[in-house]
Amino acid sequence: RAQAVDTSDWNCEFCPFPDGYEADVAIGATSISDDSARLGNATGYDESGAYANVDGQGLYAGESIRLTWMAEDLGLDSRRLAIEGGRPGSFGFRLDWSELPYRLFNTTQTVYDSVGNDTLVLPSGWVPAARTQNMPGLAAALTPIDIASDRQAFGVGVDVEAVSDFDFYADFRRQQRDGIRIMGGSAFFQAALLPRVIDYETDLVDAGIRYASGPFSVSVAWFGSFFTNNAGSLTWDNPFPGFRQGRHALEPDNDFQQLSVSGTYHAGALNTVVAFTAANGRGEQDANLLPYTIDSGIVAPGLPRATADAEVDTTNLALSITSRPFPKARVRLNYRYDERDNGTPQAMWQRVVVDSVLAPGSDANIPYSYERSVLALDASYRLFDGVRIAGGYERRDIDRDFQEVAEQAEDTGYGQLWWQPTPALELRLKGGTARREPERYDEAFAVLNGQNPLLRKYHLAYRYREFAEAMLAFAPTELPVSASLMAYWADDSYSRSELGLLAGDSLTLAGDLSWAASERVSLYLHVSEEGIDAEQAGSTLFAAPNWTARHDDDYTAIGAGVRIRDIGAKFDVTFDYSSASGESEIIVDGPGAGPSEFPELESQYDDLRLTLSYRSSPRLAWTLEVRYQLFETEDWALEGLAPATARSLLSLGAAPWDEDVLAVGLGIRYRIGSAAEE
Amino acid sequence: QDDEGPSYSRNGADTCLACHGEDEAVITVFRTPHGVPTDPRSPFGQGQLQCEACHGPGGDHAGRVRRGQERPAMPHFATGSAASVAEDNAMCLGCHAGSAGAQWHDSAHDFDEVGCADCHDVHAVHDPVQATATQPGVCFDCHKAQRAQVLKPFAHPIADGKMDCAGCHAPHGEQTAGLLARQTLNDTCFGCHAEKRGPYLWEHAPVVEDCSNCHEPHGSNHPGMLTRRGPLLCQSCHSQAGHPSVAYRDTGLADGSASQFLLGQNCLNCHSQVHGSNHPSGSRLMR
Repeated sequence: RAQAVDTSDWNCEFCPFPDGYEADVAIGATSISDDSARLGNATGYDESGAYANVDGQGLYAGESIRLTWMAEDLGLDSRRLAIEGGRPGSFGFRLDWSELPYRLFNTTQTVYDSVGNDTLVLPSGWVPAARTQNMPGLAAALTPIDIASDRQAFGVGVDVEAVSDFDFYADFRRQQRDGIRIMGGSAFFQAALLPRVIDYETDLVDAGIRYASGPFSVSVAWFGSFFTNNAGSLTWDNPFPGFRQGRHALEPDNDFQQLSVSGTYHAGALNTVVAFTAANGRGEQDANLLPYTIDSGIVAPGLPRATADAEVDTTNLALSITSRPFPKARVRLNYRYDERDNGTPQAMWQRVVVDSVLAPGSDANIPYSYERSVLALDASYRLFDGVRIAGGYERRDIDRDFQEVAEQAEDTGYGQLWWQPTPALELRLKGGTARREPERYDEAFAVLNGQNPLLRKYHLAYRYREFAEAMLAFAPTELPVSASLMAYWADDSYSRSELGLLAGDSLTLAGDLSWAASERVSLYLHVSEEGIDAEQAGSTLFAAPNWTARHDDDYTAIGAGVRIRDIGAKFDVTFDYSSASGESEIIVDGPGAGPSEFPELESQYDDLRLTLSYRSSPRLAWTLEVRYQLFETEDWALEGLAPATARSLLSLGAAPWDEDVLAVGLGIRYRIGSAAEE
Repeated sequence: QDDEGPSYSRNGADTCLACHGEDEAVITVFRTPHGVPTDPRSPFGQGQLQCEACHGPGGDHAGRVRRGQERPAMPHFATGSAASVAEDNAMCLGCHAGSAGAQWHDSAHDFDEVGCADCHDVHAVHDPVQATATQPGVCFDCHKAQRAQVLKPFAHPIADGKMDCAGCHAPHGEQTAGLLARQTLNDTCFGCHAEKRGPYLWEHAPVVEDCSNCHEPHGSNHPGMLTRRGPLLCQSCHSQAGHPSVAYRDTGLADGSASQFLLGQNCLNCHSQVHGSNHPSGSRLMR
């Protein structure tokens, strides 16, 4: 296009290209009123006290070199530093360092010494007891331990346009995660919750070459994932009578590599685009296996093999043809095939039950494989200005090994209507059904695995789904207001299941409103409500159902805020409020007794942020930020569960969250370089 | 000039800036990758069409208009423009077809006539949709249910601005369900949760097939972003005689009999290796 235009006089004399360096740098301090796992999660503000912080971003633009950087929360455990640069049109590079704190519980305590190692040791002199209440050393042994971890990630990448139409890219990313999480340790009739160590390292590599010329583009890519667990097992002293030590195998090292080819071709005929993807991958895991038990006193046969020797091959194929045979119509045909072929050799394995007893018989490891294919056809047609209709059909087939359902098919159909009577008003309606049908539910196979033959696992069962969506948007250009409403509904019926999940439905309503009250003042409001209900049945008699359960989740979220700019040409004010409340009701009915209504699981989250900015000069601004966050939960799984509450469960005493935190921050932001107007 | 089509302006960007040169929202484009004169691919590269590379020929818009006559809109990305979404998108794909747009025509976004400019602010120095902290806010303009779900008590750190939608999704199109960034849902999850990739000696069948059989990745009322609370979730698939088939009632709460099958991590108190076990004695996912 540019070649057809004479641009010899287009000198861009008035174009304000940046030349040199510009940056915003912010330095501040924040005071946190209370310890908080919730506020600390992902932010790093997990303990009361003062935090210094640095943020910033900058741009250097030279004659041919361009460099940008961004620093975020450098003083916190959620810090990030990113740098991108290069010679545009020739090469580019990027560096990224980030940390992410994961904070779950700060109310937990453990009896184990040496937390953080791969061996959890009870205090010397520990006297086991069958009931936690009878453990004489329990109370004295408890020490606080936070359930928390930190993820660090370092990334480096390059883009090179070495030859016309070709470009090459490569990205390397190393993730490390370390900390403590909860893991259950079974002592058969009892269990202990263990503060297990996390010490993961993952290297990820994406590299490829792209060719694009005219109607063709082709990309060849290689992906590699290399996971290392520096703690391959967890050994723990048993606080209960019986075996002295138990041992878990923790997540083994694994590698996955995948080669893919993808491409597109834009055919002029009927405005058609053909796209394809073909990927082949292999995952391997060959960690040394632990013995059947850590207890050398238990005589068990030798292992069938010394290492896992596990491997999976994956194949992914996709082909799509998208066409606009004429301007009002559009057709899209998609085919996709995914295969997971688990080639791990099978063997017969003995089992030492919870490091205590050699079980009779043996089990074969089951290498699960599947093939999944999806064929979909969608079409849309613009009937006339402002009205478009669409419809589609999808067929999804899944073949599996070693499960109750070997073959399963799902047919989905939908219709859709867009109506835009005026540029300011838009209505979208969509509805459809999906029927998932297993070819045969193999009850004999289920019984062989100890399952009640009447059970239908919900991801394998017959399911009939109805779904609908509606959206109404109002955005007049002549008014400073826009609003929209959306609704999503789905209803699942597992009508051929007698046991297991019987039904589920969900309804989500969402609306938002934004109003630019003036050039300087804007407001927004978001409201959302969601309900997810499920019904299931069980049998205590390994026969027909004799109990049912209802599980209803309700959830409401509200967001509101106001932005006021340039008060007295010096001040900006923003105020944001988020509120989210969840309730879950569970009722179990039977067997032989009336309904048992559990206390509601409740959560309440409120977050208020007020930010006041004062520009004392074009380069210097002062910021005051006040944030209040409340997070409360009521959770019967944790409520009142001290380490010695349940006689057969030595818990960590995690309490439901009950936190409210006030954060007050003061900072200055200084602008360096050409971007500031003097 | 192209004799067949509409006319271009006389002096390119200088013509535009004569009126728009004081508009901060306009001139910030010169601080973006689109405004790099030394990049031959940039609209402001040598011989390129500058503002009109994206907005189309501006001769009519910049020309004289009679008193009372409405000034013609720019052909693309302008108030009053008559261009369709597909025509606007074609302007972007003219340069980005080989990278961001390679799979665009296959995407649900294209099928639903989402415009590039619906998500991207190409004049902004920092395009909100390209920054982790601000990207979800752009996506949530349409995906309103997800805006609420990320505030649930158990969710990825999206509301905290530490994870973005593109961490899992490829909004420009990928031939995957839900525009996932990797070939399958599980492959996408393994990007951050590689420890769960295995393959394990002892696998848990629904896990290797689809993480969303048990997890709701946009947020949940339940720990671990589970779709339902244990033990009921597990009991949807496990009906063996004995403790898996027992109807656990509220009498098992901490102020009652304090059942280990109900409290703490319920089933996971013992079966802690639900994602798979590599222990030779781990067939019951307890070691």
